[in-house]
Amino acid sequence: MTKDFSVHVEHLTRVEGHGNITLDVKNGTIEKIQWSVVEAPRFFEAMLRGQQYNELRAITSRICGICSIGHSLASLKATEDALNVSISEQTQLLRRLAIHAENMQSHILHIGYLAAPDFLGVGSVFPLLASKHKETVLKIVKLHRLANEMSDLICGRTIHPIRLVVGGFSMVPTKKQLLTLQKRLKESKPVVHDVAKILLSVADAIPQFTRETEYIALSSDDEYALYEGVLNSTDTGRFHEYHNYQLLTNEYVVPQSTAKYTKHNRASYMVGALARFNLNSKQLHPWAQDVAKMFNLKPINYNPFMNTIAQLVEFAHSIDDSIQLIDTLLDRGIKEEKPTKVVVKSGRGVGLVEVPRGLLIHDYTLNSKGYCIKANCIIPTNQNHANIQQDMEKLVPEIINKTPKEIELILEMLVRAYDPCISCSTHYLDVTFK
Amino acid sequence: MSTKPRVAVFDFADCEGCELQIANLEEEILDLLEIVDIVSFREVMKEHSDEYDIAIVEGSIMRPMDEKRLKYIRSKAKILVALGACATIGGVNKIRNQWMPEEVMKDVYGNAKVKGNELFNVNKTKAVNEVVPVDYYIHGCPIDRDEFKHVITALALGKKPEIPTYPVCVECKKNENVCLFERGMYCLGPITRAGCKAICPTNGSPCEGCRGLVKKAETECVWEVLERYNLSYEDIRRRCTMYNYGRAECGAQ
Amino acid sequence: MEKPVYIVSKKELDSFVNKLIADQTYEVVGVQAKGERFWFAPLENATDLRLDHDVTILPPKKYFLPQYESLMTFSLEKPFDVTPASNDKPRIIIGIHPYDIIALQQSDLVYLDDQKDDFYKKRRDNTLIIGSDIETVSDRSFAGSMNTHTVNDGFDLMLTHISTETYAVTIGSDKGKALFERYAKGTKATSQELKTIEKIRRELPTKYTQKLRLDKKKWSSVLVANYHHVIWEEKSSKCVECSSCTMVCPTCYCYDVREDVSLNLKDGKRIRTWDGCMLRDFTKVGSGEIFREEIKARYRHRFFRKGNYLPERYGFIACVGCGRCGIACLPDIADPCKLFNDLEKLPSEKETSCFFIKEKTEVGEKGIIHIPRSATIKKVAQCNELDTLFELELDDKKPLGHKPGQFVEVSVMGYGEAPFGISSPPSDKPVFEIMVRKIGNVTSKLVSLQPGDKVGIRGPLGNGFNMELFEGKNMLFVSGGTGMVPMRSLINYVTDPKHRKKYKDLIILYGAKRPKEIVFMNDVEVWKKVDNMQCELTVDRCEPNECWGGCIGLITTLFPKIRADKLDAKNTIAVVIGPPVMYKFVIKCLQTLGIPDQNIWVSLERRMKCGVGKCGHCQINGIYTCKEGPVFNYNQIKRLPEAFE
Repeated sequence: MTKDFSVHVEHLTRVEGHGNITLDVKNGTIEKIQWSVVEAPRFFEAMLRGQQYNELRAITSRICGICSIGHSLASLKATEDALNVSISEQTQLLRRLAIHAENMQSHILHIGYLAAPDFLGVGSVFPLLASKHKETVLKIVKLHRLANEMSDLICGRTIHPIRLVVGGFSMVPTKKQLLTLQKRLKESKPVVHDVAKILLSVADAIPQFTRETEYIALSSDDEYALYEGVLNSTDTGRFHEYHNYQLLTNEYVVPQSTAKYTKHNRASYMVGALARFNLNSKQLHPWAQDVAKMFNLKPINYNPFMNTIAQLVEFAHSIDDSIQLIDTLLDRGIKEEKPTKVVVKSGRGVGLVEVPRGLLIHDYTLNSKGYCIKANCIIPTNQNHANIQQDMEKLVPEIINKTPKEIELILEMLVRAYDPCISCSTHYLDVTFK
Repeated sequence: MSTKPRVAVFDFADCEGCELQIANLEEEILDLLEIVDIVSFREVMKEHSDEYDIAIVEGSIMRPMDEKRLKYIRSKAKILVALGACATIGGVNKIRNQWMPEEVMKDVYGNAKVKGNELFNVNKTKAVNEVVPVDYYIHGCPIDRDEFKHVITALALGKKPEIPTYPVCVECKKNENVCLFERGMYCLGPITRAGCKAICPTNGSPCEGCRGLVKKAETECVWEVLERYNLSYEDIRRRCTMYNYGRAECGAQ
Repeated sequence: MEKPVYIVSKKELDSFVNKLIADQTYEVVGVQAKGERFWFAPLENATDLRLDHDVTILPPKKYFLPQYESLMTFSLEKPFDVTPASNDKPRIIIGIHPYDIIALQQSDLVYLDDQKDDFYKKRRDNTLIIGSDIETVSDRSFAGSMNTHTVNDGFDLMLTHISTETYAVTIGSDKGKALFERYAKGTKATSQELKTIEKIRRELPTKYTQKLRLDKKKWSSVLVANYHHVIWEEKSSKCVECSSCTMVCPTCYCYDVREDVSLNLKDGKRIRTWDGCMLRDFTKVGSGEIFREEIKARYRHRFFRKGNYLPERYGFIACVGCGRCGIACLPDIADPCKLFNDLEKLPSEKETSCFFIKEKTEVGEKGIIHIPRSATIKKVAQCNELDTLFELELDDKKPLGHKPGQFVEVSVMGYGEAPFGISSPPSDKPVFEIMVRKIGNVTSKLVSLQPGDKVGIRGPLGNGFNMELFEGKNMLFVSGGTGMVPMRSLINYVTDPKHRKKYKDLIILYGAKRPKEIVFMNDVEVWKKVDNMQCELTVDRCEPNECWGGCIGLITTLFPKIRADKLDAKNTIAVVIGPPVMYKFVIKCLQTLGIPDQNIWVSLERRMKCGVGKCGHCQINGIYTCKEGPVFNYNQIKRLPEAFE
């Protein structure tokens, strides 16, 4: 075992966005461990300056290609909060379907394309297509296609939703289309089960590592919270003052990252599928709970590598919940509704949504003409950066006897487990535009 | 030795949605792998090679360090394709060009000490062709998968891809949509490059101009339309800022 | 012959429609609400049918010429494995208004002529039309002034809403009768009920708010008198060039064709899609030339097509007053009713045929027009740095049977189709030659092909030269650049010992850009040796490294070499083929020589795509270059402003 080595991963692969890992070891002691985000800053707050209330969601959707539905919904909720716009029950139901579509899209992409190659010891999903795993990959592709087509149907497009607008939907699916979707969701359940079994067979590739940390997510009394809920922490419990979310997120700038870091009760906290599972697992649909049992996943689980499994559990939940939501929609009778009429006024609004990678917050202030004069967005991945750094600091000494190559892989896997969406690491501060 | 063109995919400042659109080809990825060799694609693969024929570049160029990387990519590639609005026209990243970089920097990072840090050394946003020559464009935010397929198959066959030069209205009419102007909205369809199958108007939302303008917004005919529908030029100007800040019509790109 | 009329209740009509849907033999399409507007869409239930609609967004043409349709599928792997696209299910369309029925009858004349469109025909044959008399008048329609608000034929059944709960059904065909008898019960209309129908139809025009002040019969004469009027400039300056007006028009039928290759590069489809003459690239040819570049010219073209070109050709005004373009046009400059009312006070012209050639021309290929025949490349020869000569043989081993001056459309599957002048003289063998210069996708691929490779051929197309007309005359051939390609066919025909005696003295003037762009140098050497032949060559310029001992200058510099004193100009036929810019200057020289206009023949290049006078890209004013041309008598075409502009 060499006493001096370095691990430098520049532009970590199979994550969304650009991040670097730096590890320097001298004489067996760690000199430097650093997780840094090197994505070019994109200054989204400047993009919102002077834009009208109905254009904000289209711009903020472009923060991230993977969680564009989540950004759109957080943006709409913030805008509607600021303008006191109420939305219909049908819109509520459809938006929940939209969140599920994205959760499914993003989770299966992460499980199948980004994380699975590590479990199977390959560099990407491509060689798997020419291996004995081809069938598995095609199953994953099938699920991914279903999630994408669900997004097409509800949102009008796979990426960057079109139909989600202030006050409702610019277009809704027909009864026939929803029935077809429901049928396909039901048919996909055995496929999900197969994928779960295959994942279970390679589950021993998931590193056994634990570090106690704080988990933050939305919670609700009525359901497994994704679209609607109150802030909740495993350390400090529920926090109802959603307009004062900053008390929870406390952001700060670090020199190695263009992304901001956050902390609450400890040096760091975690958001995302595992955080939601740890806080709300009782409200999962029974089938999703069964999937969790397969992997012996129980709250509170402190192994960040299990985030990938929590995603699989949520994928199952999203399928069952979508089937149920479609029933509700069809019982009510789906109809074309004009979006709620907006009366332009000044005000501040905050929108909180649970997106695949965790808690997302948009916070806008509008002037009396409905133009944005102040904006702030808190991105899930930003909330996880500090936690990734803390995990690395605890993890490296535990694996210091492995080869640099192995260490590098484990560190990469750790970051990938968080499924970071680094493109999102743009940031808005509270800035008042003149 | 395979004769398949070697393709590398790179990303700069963007949301990576256009690369994701490639992943979203689903089963057709198998076909794609049949006709090209993907040698680098950071978003989905670990392997990387600097030997490629076609570079597909996504994202806008923000910093000197990014320009350097892009020029290196250009030196390696026989053909360079700009992928998606951020790369083809600067996209939403150009909205901030209304202000000086220092101003924007202060807005976002406040008084944090970032001076002298290369990561934070930001110029005005540039589209790819403002830094290096671009051979072909795949427009859109996000790109349209069929158009991506069209361009890739054309390049694999040694053809010149055919990208529409006419406005979105053409495709919108073929889709038999109720015109959004009739519905009291304003839409950039009449002056935006088609090729997206008029996806936004078809889903009931106005065109935002993400494929670039085929006509300047400051033309007599646009004024005429605005006047007829009681719209202000301010509305159109703001809407053009979303994707086309500081750009005249894109002409023959 | 009076058409039988039956009366049915609303309930009975609904049950009739529902039975048609339940039968599943047909796809049943009907007018339904789409947001604030109406459209034709597949019917699930009679309750969705809106016979009270004012006008649909798109006309029913989309069922006969779909927005996107596959003309054929092909394989890139197996050389020339082509299958025509399959057919649609039989269809019933319910609720078509009279003006749209009239528009369909118009496109029948175009699409079902001697070069009939097979796809269109099949759809026409397996579609039943259940029309409906207009109940609600669209506020932009002026059908009342166009006399298109009612129609006497062109439908299988016609529905008329005669009172709240009752409809009259007029039987328009045997098919309609069979359908009605099978699925509906009605009572024969009484004379009172017939009078009600008649009254409804008679009073309809009074409901129109849009009224035409310039009678449609006068459109043509007013247009002709005002071709150069400032109004075209004024109006078109407001045009956003979106071509929405042509997209929604029931009488517009221009189309574009493109290749759609699968991602696996194994197979593909040839797709036909709507195109519009308001788009800038509509007339763009391979070399990049655009023939109607100014919006003014395109804007004017659309109205001339409606009011003069098609009326001259077919005898109908190509506008049915539906008002769709008025609704669709954002700056509101597309509405013919408004435009012609603006023209009302302007002078008119008695003679209206000046933008059109009256003479009927023989068309090349008849019958199915989309599917190419397969041919094999026999020989490939590099002619010079830029041009490659191909010898092709039709796989059915039949001679092409072309005349000099005709062209073929050559397909390379997956790359597309492009027109090529035939450069070999007429022959009774199945081989012919084309010359290819690498400028676009098709030509770039062609030059990479080898003997044995397969291509697709449609043709011969166009009219070609009538060689008998030239017999007993002197011949003067003037060609510039690649104009020599079709010219060679003609010269080789004339210089063939079999025909040489039929023609008198021969003069060839040939100009190329540069020495290396001269095509058929070997032929030139042979021609020089022919009896009574004067053959002169020139190049525009010559690089220092190029070897050229001949004349330098534009083609017009060769004219002084013709001994005018010896030339019997009255008995000389001049043939001119070259780039668009050349004609004006050359024709001036010919006129100076004393050659009468009717002795001058030209062959013009335009964007030939369908080759059968339908897709619209090659129009020069009222004529289709691919059909009435590309060979024209100068005397006939000189009056057409778009010919040499």
